[in-house]
Amino acid sequence: MISSANSIPNGACLQADVCVVGGGPAGIALTLALSEKGFSVLMLESGFLKADEKTQSLYEGEIADKHLHSPPDKYRQRRLGGSTAIWGGRCMPFDPIDFEKRDHVPHSGWPLSYEDLLPYYPEANALAEAGRFSYNAEEALGAGVAPMIRGFNSTRVRTSGLERFSCPTHFGTRYAKRLQLAPGVEVLLGANCTGVRLHPDGRTVRMIEVATLAGKRFSVAPRATVLAAGGLETARLLLASRDVALAGIGNHHDVVGRYYMCHIAGNVGMLAVHGAPGSVRHGYELAPEGVYCRRRLSVTAIEQRNLGLANAVGRLHFPRITDPAHRSGVLSGLFLARKLISYEYSKRLHDGNPPTLGTYARHLLNVVADPIDTAAFLGHWVTRRTLASRKFPSVILRNRTNRFSLEMHGEQLPQASSRVTLTDKMDALGMPQLRVDWRYNQADIESVRRTLDVFVQEFEQSGTARLEYNRSTLEEDLMRFGAYGGHHIGTTRMGHDERTSVVNADCQVHSVHNLFIAGSAVFPTSSQANPTLTLIALSLRLGDTLSRRLQTSHAAELQLLEVAA
Amino acid sequence: MRILVLGATGHIGRRLMELLKNTNWAAPAGASRGQVAAVSSNDAVTLDTRDVPALTAALKNFDAVVNCVAGNAASISAGASALVQASLAAGCPRIVHLSTMSVYGPAEGEVREDAPLDPTLGWYGRAKCEAEAHLANYRRLGGETVILRPGCVYGPGSELWVGRTGRWLHSGRLGDLGTAGDGWSNLVHVDDVCQALMAALRLPVEPGRSPAFNLAAPDSPRWNDFFVDLALALDATPVRRISRRQLQLDAWLAGPPLKLAQPLLKLLGKKHTALPSPMPPGLLRLWAQHIRLDASLATQTLGLTWTPYPEGLQSSAAWFSEKYSPSGKMIGKPLWMH
Repeated sequence: MISSANSIPNGACLQADVCVVGGGPAGIALTLALSEKGFSVLMLESGFLKADEKTQSLYEGEIADKHLHSPPDKYRQRRLGGSTAIWGGRCMPFDPIDFEKRDHVPHSGWPLSYEDLLPYYPEANALAEAGRFSYNAEEALGAGVAPMIRGFNSTRVRTSGLERFSCPTHFGTRYAKRLQLAPGVEVLLGANCTGVRLHPDGRTVRMIEVATLAGKRFSVAPRATVLAAGGLETARLLLASRDVALAGIGNHHDVVGRYYMCHIAGNVGMLAVHGAPGSVRHGYELAPEGVYCRRRLSVTAIEQRNLGLANAVGRLHFPRITDPAHRSGVLSGLFLARKLISYEYSKRLHDGNPPTLGTYARHLLNVVADPIDTAAFLGHWVTRRTLASRKFPSVILRNRTNRFSLEMHGEQLPQASSRVTLTDKMDALGMPQLRVDWRYNQADIESVRRTLDVFVQEFEQSGTARLEYNRSTLEEDLMRFGAYGGHHIGTTRMGHDERTSVVNADCQVHSVHNLFIAGSAVFPTSSQANPTLTLIALSLRLGDTLSRRLQTSHAAELQLLEVAA
Repeated sequence: MRILVLGATGHIGRRLMELLKNTNWAAPAGASRGQVAAVSSNDAVTLDTRDVPALTAALKNFDAVVNCVAGNAASISAGASALVQASLAAGCPRIVHLSTMSVYGPAEGEVREDAPLDPTLGWYGRAKCEAEAHLANYRRLGGETVILRPGCVYGPGSELWVGRTGRWLHSGRLGDLGTAGDGWSNLVHVDDVCQALMAALRLPVEPGRSPAFNLAAPDSPRWNDFFVDLALALDATPVRRISRRQLQLDAWLAGPPLKLAQPLLKLLGKKHTALPSPMPPGLLRLWAQHIRLDASLATQTLGLTWTPYPEGLQSSAAWFSEKYSPSGKMIGKPLWMH
């Protein structure tokens, strides 16, 4: 059932097997999985089916350096479906190497392996509507499919990797009816968790406090609680719940909110592929099940280990949009229309310096001089994106010259000083706001540089292409827009050691036996991959864990009664 | 046991006849209003199932009758009424009646056999509810009935759920429907339905009771999964994502003229596949209906072993390919791709 939290009487205390805080992709996947297993679930969703300005403003907070990170109410959506309401839909699993302890990546190593998570990826893929769990070009697109770059063979650089695209599926609208009908599930909209209250011993959740913007206050006393509120909000909730644990829940060792990661991303260099444009697969291809896929360049795991590189991928991309020197009518059209595009998607159309009249004129000239391509692009965009229910994922230009920039997307090394903290300023419900102090370090940039160098060498050696990039501007190129928006990772990281992690391999907060966290907050490292698919898989795994734990504890209670009798 | 199968030339009836003949306990005969060529002449009867005297005469020689009659509302509802009257007159043989999940109307969620019947979902559900009401009368008057309520019956020979669906997938009229195809398919393999019918014929029934059983394979997927899986199996790729808008246009705009053209095709002696099949609006409702038949009673009481979905899918696809494309490709596909 889905109902309004305002229908709950003031002061009520609700019961359920599991209380899931947050109705984004993690919370929805977990709730549906738990319902299938026969558990009752109360999902607290702060927002509604549609966006709500007042609710969204509960996300407001401070940024330490606005050039490095977007405001905390951007790239996040406080509504049913969470940020999948605005996501781009890019899906790919983490690589096996991401789970390993790597000496060259400080604080790396997950307490679980790729194989532990693998059984959950296919269902995660299905929920994200990204087709089959198949991320190898030959397997996904069929044997005999053309290579990414004809003639390019390398033992150090992999080109057969794929990323797949969700519709992009808005989990709120897509799964509302499943939630509505799921046995034992109650979704409360407008229900904001304002605190996790522990028993005095600090080892058990006593209740979850809930408030609505209309002034209702009530509580939930579940057998287990899962915080699935996103990488920033989950840390905020733990830090703000400080009545029993004075530093915040799970924060005895000052780890909550630290190790905050996004991705290191930007357009870099120029790749000139020799030969005809037909020899390159730079855009989207359709898998048999109708899902858009795209190739990517990456350094193999063996070579990453050999060279001490963090994980990263590169995609063949077009030149920087803001610079009219590209002479593309399509790109200039996008630049001129950027004010019509949402903050999240237009960010990379504003690169700091306000454009001069001359820049506008040159962009306009590009559009006028390139009418056929611009019109064809618009037609394609309207039919394949605007009107389509599976949307063409992004702007792709026709490859005329075999020249591309590389769109790099790299792992960020975890560091304790990159963190979120609470401020003294309160939101409308009396919750302290967040301050985001995202930091990167030179090793992040250096790793991308050395990755690019591998690409340079391998293209050179194969004789199929030439990659050039400017070392002196690499940091600027990667940091022009700051942290890659929307990927909020690591603030309640997973590990064996309480001194450097917040949750264990079961996603359970070390010190509280019935408090769990779902979402990218628990990732100890960030991988090259976008986090959504993996956070869904991890939530499904948490569903299995909870099912096992709750059944066992139930059985234990029964046994105890028998002994007492 | 002497068994008369009504509707013996239909998808289910035909298969049931084959299976019954292979048993050592059944002596089946098939009856149909249409051609009975598929049933060997010595055990075939041609009769109108609404013709009470003819039916009474036919039933006198049988211990049980299986009602697999399909068709329009009249042949379903009036046919069941006639069957009840004739059975009463002929000495009350057991009636095993093939009903449908449509009798549950717009219900959603898990549905067991004790859920209330709801005739509000269109002519088919209404006729099937009426037929069940006639059978309830029969039971009150001392007859024995067993009712089976299958979901969507697929497998080799299923024109409705494999043939038509496959053609729509090939022509891009069907694919992944998103929320519009998120309902449960409740697919049940034709062999499983026949297995259930055979078990129902021999099921001990207490006086005054009328057992009813839902039939849907426990592993039957949601419609979207079935469409994508079938499309992949039939090489109808890349599978298209179909918007709700396109479905509605197909059903409401293209549907009526295509529906009108069907009798004309028949008159002209053309195959029904010579024109695209209309997409009935009722199907749009079905694909989005989150009804999931709970068939555990059939599993336990009728002792069914369900055909695994991958197996059913494979045999369905093989049947489609053989019927529509012996060379592995769709043959005679017109330019407009029906």
